[in-house]
Amino acid sequence: MRRVRIGVVGRMIGVLIVLGIAVFPIYWMFTTALSSDADLFAAQPRLVPDFGQFGVFVDALADGPTLTWLRNSTVVAVGTTALSIVLGIPLAYALSRFSFRGKVAVGLLLLMTQMLPEALMVVPLFSLYRRFELLDSLVGLVLANTAFVLPIVALVLKGAIDGVPRELEEAARVDGSRPLTVLLRINVPIIAPAIAAAAVIAFFHAWNEYVFAVTFIFNKALQPASVGLAGFVGEQGTAIQTIMAVAFMFTLPAVAFYLFAQKYVVSGMTAGAVKG
Amino acid sequence: MSAERAGADVALKRRRRSPLGSRWTPYVFLLPAAAYIFVFQAVPLVQEIYLSFTRTNLLNPTRSVWVGLENYEKIFASAGFQQTLLTTLVYVIACVVGAVGSGLGVALLLNGRFPGRGIARALVTVPWAAPGIATALIATWMLNAQYGIITRVLRALGVDVGESGILDNPDLALTAILATTIWQLFPFVAVVLLSALQSVPAELTEAAEMDGANRWWTFRVVTWQVIKPTVGLVALLMTIWSLRRFELIWLMTRGGPLGTTRTLVIDLYSQAFDSKQLGNAAAIGMVGIVIALIVVVGSRLVSRAAERGA
Amino acid sequence: MAHSTSPRSRRAAVALALASGLALSACSSPAGSDAPAEEEAVEPATITFAASTFGDPGLGPRLQGLIDEYNSSQDVVTIEPAAVPFPTFGQTVLTQMGGGEGPDLVRFDMPEFTSAADAGLLEPLDDLIDADELGLQPGPDEYMTVNDSRYGVIFDTSNYVMYYNTDLIPEPPTTFDEFMETAKATTQGDVYGLAFRQTQAEENGVWQDIFNYVYGFGGEWSDGEELTLNNAKNVEGLEAYQSLYDANVIPKGADAATFRKMFAQGKVGMELNNGGYLVATRGTNPDLKFSVAPIPFPVRAQGAIMAPIVINANSEHKDAATDFINWVLEEENQVALQEALGASSVATETERTEEQLAETPFLPVYDELTNSSAPQIVVGFGPQTADIRKIVVTQVIAALQGQQTMKEAMDKAQDEAEQLVG
Repeated sequence: MRRVRIGVVGRMIGVLIVLGIAVFPIYWMFTTALSSDADLFAAQPRLVPDFGQFGVFVDALADGPTLTWLRNSTVVAVGTTALSIVLGIPLAYALSRFSFRGKVAVGLLLLMTQMLPEALMVVPLFSLYRRFELLDSLVGLVLANTAFVLPIVALVLKGAIDGVPRELEEAARVDGSRPLTVLLRINVPIIAPAIAAAAVIAFFHAWNEYVFAVTFIFNKALQPASVGLAGFVGEQGTAIQTIMAVAFMFTLPAVAFYLFAQKYVVSGMTAGAVKG
Repeated sequence: MSAERAGADVALKRRRRSPLGSRWTPYVFLLPAAAYIFVFQAVPLVQEIYLSFTRTNLLNPTRSVWVGLENYEKIFASAGFQQTLLTTLVYVIACVVGAVGSGLGVALLLNGRFPGRGIARALVTVPWAAPGIATALIATWMLNAQYGIITRVLRALGVDVGESGILDNPDLALTAILATTIWQLFPFVAVVLLSALQSVPAELTEAAEMDGANRWWTFRVVTWQVIKPTVGLVALLMTIWSLRRFELIWLMTRGGPLGTTRTLVIDLYSQAFDSKQLGNAAAIGMVGIVIALIVVVGSRLVSRAAERGA
Repeated sequence: MAHSTSPRSRRAAVALALASGLALSACSSPAGSDAPAEEEAVEPATITFAASTFGDPGLGPRLQGLIDEYNSSQDVVTIEPAAVPFPTFGQTVLTQMGGGEGPDLVRFDMPEFTSAADAGLLEPLDDLIDADELGLQPGPDEYMTVNDSRYGVIFDTSNYVMYYNTDLIPEPPTTFDEFMETAKATTQGDVYGLAFRQTQAEENGVWQDIFNYVYGFGGEWSDGEELTLNNAKNVEGLEAYQSLYDANVIPKGADAATFRKMFAQGKVGMELNNGGYLVATRGTNPDLKFSVAPIPFPVRAQGAIMAPIVINANSEHKDAATDFINWVLEEENQVALQEALGASSVATETERTEEQLAETPFLPVYDELTNSSAPQIVVGFGPQTADIRKIVVTQVIAALQGQQTMKEAMDKAQDEAEQLVG
């Protein structure tokens, strides 16, 4: 008996359906942004973007605080990425290369931090921040976000370091290099793809974060896009087109960045997930 | 931290130095991150545990009254909280089953030769990359009771979604939230499982085929055995992430209609910020954490038992 | 006309005009007799003023103009507006204030105002402003006192009226029966006669909407001492609300953002809303023909958005904050604020300008309702309003969904709320 093969055509139809489901909402965001009021509230919706309405994007960028929001989101995301990588690499190295008492506990604790909802930590962090004057500062957001993303970053990096042959390190050790030097000279270049993956994950965790930002940031000029966008929801009568245009501009960098770094993210995540 | 002493003791007992420097080395590497997590996670967590035994108002958090187990007694006695627990359970299980199931299906679909494979694999990650807030906004608009595209299509197909629309229908709101969540999660599962699938040795599947095995048998006996640990891990991640998911539900329904989408985190948030009862909120949070702990420890035990059995 | 200025406030206005001519406005401070003889100069400071309305696409820029006016009127105090989004406003600001932080000046809605005042987060204003001399409108002002201290002054107050599309509805209904008939007659094709909020996601909005039905049918949430959630009048009002829901004259499930857009598009005939809506609607669709009338319910009583401005007790620049409040209360700035706000009223009675009345002839409709309007709180239970609101709205929605009658809903709400307030 020959096994039944899904023909290439069948597979492609399946793939197209999946891609349609995956991409349609983003397309619809774009189309909604580019629809006139009459189209939006018509009996039959407009299915393709009306590029004559493109002014909504220009207006959102020119009039509103959208650019400030996107800039603040970028600052928080870059800061979170840098800090979580700097802290994550040594942690991952310790977990991968050493056996020490309490290692299992450390691993479990890392997993446990994944269970803490941000909503629960807002109040105690608020009083901590107040003491250290971290409220209303992007640094404060970076610190809070790093705490939440560090465990994932460490797990991804640990998976990658697990895959680096020990012989490479031992060769360097013969030369009398110290452990930190070994880590930086030998391991870091090899696990660069995983670092890229971890960086993307950290970046977008911070890019998307909402609960801390909405509570810790007060100054309008420091609001990130997540808060600004969520502020549209409600009763202020912001046009749906504007909301969707800003949402699209908020989504686009994330999607583009992921597509670009996809290969690294996949290998890094997988390494982390499988062996974590 | 006494872990260092304990570590030192063990090293002495074993009379074996780590091959990579002194016995202190791992702790030196561990220290920055550990200190960081201690300050930003452990300390706040301990504060929350304390708060869960107090009556504390958001507006006067420094003035709290110790009430022992009162908050826990109160929440477990309330019918609303039992509904919350049930909703959370349904939500989490459906998320895990839905995301892992659809993710595995998509991974199998993508794990083959067809033109444009690279582009397809990249594009499928779009939902995962889209920010949660943007996802909530577009989902809400697509589900809009009058003008939402999904509502329009369903009505055109003769599906009765109720006059008040899907998100305001107590029978459908949770389903809509689940569909949105799974849409968001399936790419992650697919991508991770796709990599696992690619590590399935081709010789094994080919050998199985040569023996005339059918597809299902090959999958069950060969492929599944290889990807099983990854599936387990992904399912675990889905579980603990779903237990703490907030923005999506909060922005789409705020836990309504009639509490049908009120999960533990939604309840905790509205207790803390609408009712301003930090003690109650903390107690609800602790229940969530305990559930997550049970899942994690349970899954460890299961996987260890499975290893021993194998 | 409700808006002729009273003799007393005219005297105050003259006095203020004189005072502002003599003194730099930066030093304007209460002229009360117990003020220290040696005026302490206001310390130079940059302070924040948080209001959800700063983020409003229509109102925001107009209010910004007023702040700019203040900032350039003197060089001692600079106000930075903080636009905290409306849906998270109370939560965000109260968390900050409870944590010992927060903006110096806040424009609160009433539920948050009473909570904050009750928790001691606000600076008492008794000695900082000269309330007796300002000619404050007494109706709204009576709610500014919590536990015998004044904690705020009205920044803006906005009465609920019935907005109607004059193309669809040439003659506004004047009784509830006509209201129902008009709503039914207008509902045709993709046009709905009426719109109101009815979803849990807009809990606060539902509360604001049902308030008009409860009070418009002679009910009240409390008698000031005891909760009266299930009194017969309340149930009657809510049954009227439900009868409209059941008559299929509203776009069910539509949130406020959607149905307001629909109103602007001529797809909704009537809506009960407050004065703030005027500016927003004009901004969305300048061509829309609409007018307003009093809500046609049996009793002339309706809700109002009352929004006091307060000083955060944590503020390090209370003198600067006080200076701004006193500046806003000056006659000419009250006029400017009222113009910026559109149909809302301000702390004192001000006269509408000819241009304003020419542009919006129906402005007096709003103004005449000020004395019969009530803030959307549970009187006597201000700090618990948010919890009672949640209980009531959940039960009302369950009734709308057919799970119980309104009577049962309110009986349950009464039980739950009584347990809550103890």
